[in-house]
Amino acid sequence: MKDVLRAAGITKRFAGIVALDDVSLRIGEGERVGLIGPNGAGKTTLFNCLLGVLAADGGTVEVAGRDVSRLRAHRRARLGVGRTFQRIELFPETSVRDHLLIAERVRRGTGRLWKDLLGLGRPTAEETRRCDEVLELLGLVELADAPVERLSLGQGRLVEVGRALMTRPAMLLLDEPSSGLDRAETMALATTLREVQREQGFAILLVEHDVELVTSFTTRSYVLDFGRLIAEGPTGEVMASDAVRAAYLGTYAPPESATARTATTTRTATTTGTATTTGTATTTGTGTATTTEEEAR
Amino acid sequence: MTSALEFDDVHAGYGPFRALFGVSLSVAPGEAVALVGSNGAGKTTVARVASGLVRPTAGAVSVGGVAMTGARPYRFAQAGVAHAVEGRSVFATLSVEENLTLSFRRVRGRAGVRGGLDQAYESFPALARRRHQRAGNLSGGEQRMLSMARVMVEVPAVLIADELSLGLAPKIVAELYDDLSRLRAAGTALLVVEQLVGHALELCDRVAVLDHGSVSWTGSSSDARGILAAGGLMGAGLAGVGPTGQAPLDHEKAGL
Amino acid sequence: MATDSSSVGADFLRAVLQGAPPGAVYALVALGFVLTYQTSGVFNLAFGAQAYVSAAMYFKARLIWGWPTVWAVLLSVVVLAPLVGLTLEVLIFKHLRSASAVSKLVVAIGLAVALPNLFDIIASFKPASGVTPVGVVPGGADVFYSVFGLYRFSRNELVDMGVALVAVIGLGAVFRFSPIGLRMRAVVESARMTELNGIAASRVAAFSWALSSLFAGVAGVLIAPRFNTLGSSDFFSLMVVAIAAAAVGSLASLPLALAGGLGLGIVIAELNTFLPRWGTDSAWVRTVQDNLTPSVPFLVLFAVLALVPGIRRVQGAGDPLAGVEPPPTARAGRPDPRRALAMRLLGAVVVIGGGVVVLTRGDQLWVYQVTQAVVIAIIFLSVTVITGTGGQISLCQGAFAAIGACTVYQLAVRYDMSVLVAMLLGGLVAAAVGAILSLPVRRLGGIWTAIATLAFAYFFDAVMIKLSWVGGGAASLLRGTAVPRPTLGPWDLSHEKAFLVFAAVVLAVVAAAVVALRSGTFGRSLIALRGSEVGAQSIGISAARTRLTAFAVSAFIAGLGGGLLAISQRDVNYGANFTPFAALFWTVLVVALGSRSVPGALIAAAAFALFEPLVLDGAVVGWLTRERHPLPSLFPIDGKWLFILFGLAAIQFARHPEGLVEYGLSGRSRPARPDRPRGRRSPNTDSAAAGDAAASDQRPAMRGNRS
Repeated sequence: MKDVLRAAGITKRFAGIVALDDVSLRIGEGERVGLIGPNGAGKTTLFNCLLGVLAADGGTVEVAGRDVSRLRAHRRARLGVGRTFQRIELFPETSVRDHLLIAERVRRGTGRLWKDLLGLGRPTAEETRRCDEVLELLGLVELADAPVERLSLGQGRLVEVGRALMTRPAMLLLDEPSSGLDRAETMALATTLREVQREQGFAILLVEHDVELVTSFTTRSYVLDFGRLIAEGPTGEVMASDAVRAAYLGTYAPPESATARTATTTRTATTTGTATTTGTATTTGTGTATTTEEEAR
Repeated sequence: MTSALEFDDVHAGYGPFRALFGVSLSVAPGEAVALVGSNGAGKTTVARVASGLVRPTAGAVSVGGVAMTGARPYRFAQAGVAHAVEGRSVFATLSVEENLTLSFRRVRGRAGVRGGLDQAYESFPALARRRHQRAGNLSGGEQRMLSMARVMVEVPAVLIADELSLGLAPKIVAELYDDLSRLRAAGTALLVVEQLVGHALELCDRVAVLDHGSVSWTGSSSDARGILAAGGLMGAGLAGVGPTGQAPLDHEKAGL
Repeated sequence: MATDSSSVGADFLRAVLQGAPPGAVYALVALGFVLTYQTSGVFNLAFGAQAYVSAAMYFKARLIWGWPTVWAVLLSVVVLAPLVGLTLEVLIFKHLRSASAVSKLVVAIGLAVALPNLFDIIASFKPASGVTPVGVVPGGADVFYSVFGLYRFSRNELVDMGVALVAVIGLGAVFRFSPIGLRMRAVVESARMTELNGIAASRVAAFSWALSSLFAGVAGVLIAPRFNTLGSSDFFSLMVVAIAAAAVGSLASLPLALAGGLGLGIVIAELNTFLPRWGTDSAWVRTVQDNLTPSVPFLVLFAVLALVPGIRRVQGAGDPLAGVEPPPTARAGRPDPRRALAMRLLGAVVVIGGGVVVLTRGDQLWVYQVTQAVVIAIIFLSVTVITGTGGQISLCQGAFAAIGACTVYQLAVRYDMSVLVAMLLGGLVAAAVGAILSLPVRRLGGIWTAIATLAFAYFFDAVMIKLSWVGGGAASLLRGTAVPRPTLGPWDLSHEKAFLVFAAVVLAVVAAAVVALRSGTFGRSLIALRGSEVGAQSIGISAARTRLTAFAVSAFIAGLGGGLLAISQRDVNYGANFTPFAALFWTVLVVALGSRSVPGALIAAAAFALFEPLVLDGAVVGWLTRERHPLPSLFPIDGKWLFILFGLAAIQFARHPEGLVEYGLSGRSRPARPDRPRGRRSPNTDSAAAGDAAASDQRPAMRGNRS
């Protein structure tokens, strides 16, 4: 399988504190990959280094075989790295359609100042058609002309996805898409995302706390703790591994047995070292713990 | 017995956007009530009215039997209401120690600050190590820890915990809930707004389901759990508990 | 050469001593900036105005009423200054606590203009020319103390330096270590969260304003004796220098602001000492020497902006509870289409009717006034681009316009070029300058754009315009800058009415271009960028390039308008048209009335050019009463009221950032929402995207507040 994204040896320090230590990951074409880890593990930092929002201190990032380590965020976006935001980042005072149209125009790269001046900068029929396609795909047709201020959070997330899709991404990086959504909304978003992803075939990197979502949505996962990868492999096995349970899940149990949880946790995860687990928990095997109620349906 | 926090037919909103339509609710001292409901049902608005951040347009709010309707938030705080707001609830530009000092200084005076700090650091050693760091540089879990440290030392009469688990790793969520049950044991009345229904149900005595800005169902946690199990709605959240009428729910306001 | 080197050393030291007193004055104002910014979150460009008010009160009490010093100080500094601060807090800033830093900055500019005029009217104070203000220190300007025989400090100077030093230590201590300092910082970050801690935020904020205003009062009476005449504009220019000093401390550090102020004073003194020695031989060194001194603040500010990486982070943390604020209704609501159509028709009728009346019946004065309004409207459209579409506050549109005007003058007079071609070239030169200027600030945004452009405006005013290849130098001062009127084919534009038609056509073309730009790629990218920089980047929009283009386009329009203004007046007339203070007025007027739309700019231009003759001079009332002579005794109204109205306009901007015009147009339409939830939804509405219509009303996604 060809890799759409390959990061090798990413290192990032903030004022002497090592936020990321030699992290490597790869995402294959059309793959759905999860990235989990406790708070402060460096997930957001890694995410930003992949996107070019932060410049890594060491390591390389390749998109579809091309080294993009030195490129800024907007250049990487043009090369096919789409994203959504944990705290929603839409453009106020514009409509849903406007969001998609400007993304399409930027992707085509046909915008010129002189064209704008001559009144040729308005959306073309072709652009509008493609925009309508994506609106249709995401079920946003009825909201196309609504100002984004009037959308719910879940709808806003979908607009972000749509905006990213207009750039025809080779991969989509989702930053905690469930945050702020309730279960029903999260599941609806996941369903839509999966359908769209099947149709368009881009890869997904999902950064999430929602263990259920990661388990049901991804086939492979990486686990970060203290800026290091402590596990990677098929999601089901990663979630079951001892290292991950110790560092991340604690005594968290799957929902059906949630009531049986005993309150005996100790306050250690965020402060004490994890020397015992570093980079040793890479699991192998072919387990696919990915069937969910959605797929069963 | 006077309730620690009482809502009587509260209406509230944001400018023209109305969010609450006649919410009545009460939390007794030492009781824990979970407030659940789908996104947009008005949970956060209830929490904000309970701490004075949002003024009700109609209805009455009282704290410990004292009418507080329309009072400024600092009056609520002085009456013993603590509100851990959703998202970041610490001052990002102040250091950890300054965040704590700000709280302790008002209640304990100049002399008491030191003792409060020691107590906080003893219970939360991680904070002691970061005492001079800007709170904004802490991780989400540590920020939560900081806001919990404030209430654990200066035990409030009422604690409103809004989406404590949001964006936190499961392990840290479990720790936070341990803190909450300790607070409850110390006599604090808890109003817990939560998406992770499992944790909330386990902690709380009673559950109030909010739907479209009004309370659609109330009952004991065990009843709520039973309904959830019967309806298999755990995965879908509680969005449908009230309106579905799947369970024999009565809308009587007994106890509320 | 031993004697020479020792004298160089002595001169160096002397310049250090000499530079310290003015440096201390810069530092006093810079400390005021840092203090207000840190305790109230406002970049307070009205600090100079507050200082002026106290200085003027002191002046009046001492010299006109003949009060003793102590009582005059008590009144002007201890009583009046905090009172002004408290009034500002209660009437204005209390309501702006969640407003953006840029909105607050605009309000502060409005106050900077309105406050001194308001004081002058209330206290019937007239800055008397030639009467040097007296200081608070007895014999302050007459008693000297020699230091090492190198320099003699006056008593005033010593007091200035002493106060600056004490202020840094005292304020620093209050700020860092006292409970009230901690509370002030907490309130700046989030007043609501401070209240959740049981602290009455409004009292803390009132204290902050009283404290910083008291400091402004102290600075005012200390600084006043440095000026020959007491005038508010001197205080404003002083602030621009002090901004550079405050920027050295990233608007956060009191000691660094002090160091910045002293450093600026000393650097300027050193340059004044040493440059003349080397500059006697060659002309260009002389030019550098003449101009370097006034450029120092500008250069320092730009060096700080370009070189200090941490400055970006000064923006501070947002209020996590901002979502409690009701969402802006006017923006969420769409204008009622029928109402909008009616307004459009009305606008067309007014424009056409007015045009016809002026062209057929208007006398020379009226044709002139309307022409000015039309030309100013072109310049104002440049604000529509940079601020309305781009969301950046630029305070140097006057300098861009002046560049256009000077280019026309230079090319037409020196090279005998057609003024129309020169006008276009003037726009291009301004565009190039705008593009270069945007380089250091395009990634900073926020208040830094405003600060940097303000500094550039003063730099242009102090240095550039005096160069002979820009403003024409001494020759233009003597003979004026004669700019000819062109002929365009059969039309001789020296005819006033023909010129008015020509100007109107240019305005129409520029307005059409602005509208076209906004609906094209550039405008859409800019609007996206204004809304969310990271969001725009995520779809491949380059923030740096788009902002650069925005600056260039805006500067082009301003340059074009400036050129046309010079042609229309047959004179560049820099002092009357383009000074930084005048341009400040432009920007704030446009954003207050409506920078988002073309009509907003047109109305602002009409207000700017026609308000005084129509309203203040009583022409409209006279016409209404059909009694041109005599006008009611009220007229002409004191021109200072204009500035006060302007201040009010700026203040309302913060509440209605879309501007008065759009705010009026929207009819404050409220989004429709059923009072009661409509029925119960089925729990199996599986898509959050499809359902949730009722819920979405309660939580606009943009603000991320959920209930």
